[in-house]
Amino acid sequence: MTELQRLREAFRTALDLPADEPVDDLRYQDHEKWDSLAHMSLVAAIEDEFSVMIDTDDVINMSSFAEAARILGKYGVDVK
Amino acid sequence: MNLLHPSARVVDAATGERLTPAMIDAAAAEIAGQPIVFLPMPTTVPAVARYLAAWRLEKPVLLLDPDLDHRALIARYTTGEVHPDLALLLTTSGSTGDPKLVRLSRSAMLANAGQVAESLGVTGDDVAITTLPLFYSYGLSVLHSHLLRGATVVLERTGIMQKEFWAAVGEHRVTSLAFVPSQYEMARRLRFDPARYPSVRTLTQAGGRLRTDLVADFAARMDAVGGRMFVMYGQTEAGPRMACLPPERLADRLGSVGRAMPGGTFAIEDGEVVYRGPNVMMGYAETAADLARGDDLAGVLHTGDLGRLDDDGFLFITGRLKRMAKVFGVRINLDDVERHFPVAAVAGDDRLHVFTEDGDVRALRSKIAEWLGTHFTGVDVRMIEALPLLPNGKTDYRALEASL
Repeated sequence: MTELQRLREAFRTALDLPADEPVDDLRYQDHEKWDSLAHMSLVAAIEDEFSVMIDTDDVINMSSFAEAARILGKYGVDVK
Repeated sequence: MNLLHPSARVVDAATGERLTPAMIDAAAAEIAGQPIVFLPMPTTVPAVARYLAAWRLEKPVLLLDPDLDHRALIARYTTGEVHPDLALLLTTSGSTGDPKLVRLSRSAMLANAGQVAESLGVTGDDVAITTLPLFYSYGLSVLHSHLLRGATVVLERTGIMQKEFWAAVGEHRVTSLAFVPSQYEMARRLRFDPARYPSVRTLTQAGGRLRTDLVADFAARMDAVGGRMFVMYGQTEAGPRMACLPPERLADRLGSVGRAMPGGTFAIEDGEVVYRGPNVMMGYAETAADLARGDDLAGVLHTGDLGRLDDDGFLFITGRLKRMAKVFGVRINLDDVERHFPVAAVAGDDRLHVFTEDGDVRALRSKIAEWLGTHFTGVDVRMIEALPLLPNGKTDYRALEASL
């Protein structure tokens, strides 16, 4: 699986989405399932999946799928 | 004694809007003809103005989640006959199917606002920020205890996982944060460092049991900067707080929910925690006619919790009389869940675990969460080949709990 597929899978698991739902355009709080509790599951899922520890500022700045991909770049994970 | 101290302030963090006496006057004129104020309660200045107007006019208020449809509930409780002591009506669970209400008197609410303010040492210099909905008893308790002492309440509609929230904490020099267990988990995930928010002096915890390692962890974080952490215990039925564990006793009474609030006492009767105090509800309501009833309980609340008291009066909660779970501060009757869904249900820490022998796990999770009116992350659904049974044919819940 590519990094991009792994990130999509982490989003679907954490936000409780069906396997075929597109996630690349998701934005925090625009989607009914992405709220603060789901955000916590999401951060945990991403940290587990990529074996990284995400900083506080990055956790609260992770406001979209694209932003999550960008932030992961800072931790040496190249999502594309 | 009035709930609203003349120097109390309420300000909206996002818009800068401030509560003024004129707003309360205007809201009072609007609701003057209503025997009961059915109030959808978003975290906004106009909603708080309307709520305080109802207090001033001594009219009972039913606080409602603004995102849900309450037409059936309102129809059920519409009446012209209400008891003069009745101040506040709150729902007992997130379940939209359960219309039972808690009836709280003006004197009970004022008593509890005072008990909480005294236990926490709230002063006019304090600044609280909303972390919970105001239609939920813990969120409302933060509002009450701060308004009573002439403090400031900052209305913030985002949550602790968003940068707007922490910006507001800094900008308004917030002194006190009130979190439920799930928010402590979030704060841990955020690696909350009180040194970054030097105005924050107090953390409070209520809304269900917080695991003791997190209690100790956050107490240590606050201690390191000269701040304090308070563990509290309560139920909506007690308006809502009954106990508080003071920070200086937290280390030697870790796991306790504290001592009874000033003016209250605990007793253990047949294993059950029984609270006596001025803040106990008048009783429940299940029909409109019940809103005319007086005080049915005379200040005695059978909590349904099992517990023990040590020699110094510190209370330890050990379980529930009925099979209950508490998820995000809301009580869930496990037997009710099993009556509605083909599952076996057990309680976890801030989570409902259900086991099913067949079906679509994801769909079932969504359906149960929706039925409970709770967040889907609070419901865990697992497939199991066959439910473990006791020799008497009943479900072996111990075995299920052990498998978690």
